[in-house]
Amino acid sequence: MNDAERWSKQEVALVDLIDRVIGGGVVIAGEVVIGVAGVDLVYLGLQLVLAPAHEVEESVALGRRSP
Amino acid sequence: MMLLYAVVPSDATAPDVPGLAGRPLEIIRAAAAAVIVEECPDRLSATNHEAGTFAEIVCNLAESASVLPVRFPTVLTTRSAVLAELQAHERVWGQRLRDLSGLSEVVIRAQWADAEPDSPSSASGTSYLLSRAAAMQQREASVAEISGLIRDWAREIKVLRSQQGIRLACLVAGTDIPPLERAILRWQEAADRRQAVVSGPWPPFSFAVDQEAVHA
Repeated sequence: MNDAERWSKQEVALVDLIDRVIGGGVVIAGEVVIGVAGVDLVYLGLQLVLAPAHEVEESVALGRRSP
Repeated sequence: MMLLYAVVPSDATAPDVPGLAGRPLEIIRAAAAAVIVEECPDRLSATNHEAGTFAEIVCNLAESASVLPVRFPTVLTTRSAVLAELQAHERVWGQRLRDLSGLSEVVIRAQWADAEPDSPSSASGTSYLLSRAAAMQQREASVAEISGLIRDWAREIKVLRSQQGIRLACLVAGTDIPPLERAILRWQEAADRRQAVVSGPWPPFSFAVDQEAVHA
């Protein structure tokens, strides 16, 4: 593998930490408002599981409706 | 709205630091556990920046108490809703806090020379399926090999999804992290074109829920 393929430890740590923050932890039924650039996009008042994108992609590929 | 950060022991105190929305962190207590929360405006964005700040706050919390991080972004409408949720789960959460006391999470990423990205290639049909099967076998063998190398220090191991190589979340005591890192370094140096990175330690994000209790 070349230098471009080698991981930066700092970048890996940040990616893994954010992945765990949204992919791990205690899951509680609640409400969430997701906004981008200050605009509310959706309000969900049901049990919601937020997952890393690659997990969602895999779930979709497997035909499941939620991660 | 109340943004939930982490479940903590019932005798813990809320740190004197602002939360994600710049407001004071509060603690809502029950007999066996408590929850650190922040009253937030109704609009909460959940970008990588907010997730990173949330992680920083939870990591700081973990320096003074055992924590079960709450998945970001979880919000409940009122303090009484948080208390109701806490009272419904306090026994299980209190037990898990005791189980995880003094333990942290590290994540091991490992890849090797022929580790292929987990995405469709231009090949099709039998050759693609054969290459995918070989890649899966290589991954499983690597998971088994590395799990064996760290079994003396990792109390629990979870295989995380990875688009290239493998990722393992490991539950470890602080004193066990240096020997675990040395074992991973030896694995990397045992063959050409291997790479491994150990990230953390962090609060036990991947181990907040006792899967055996969930499935019991």
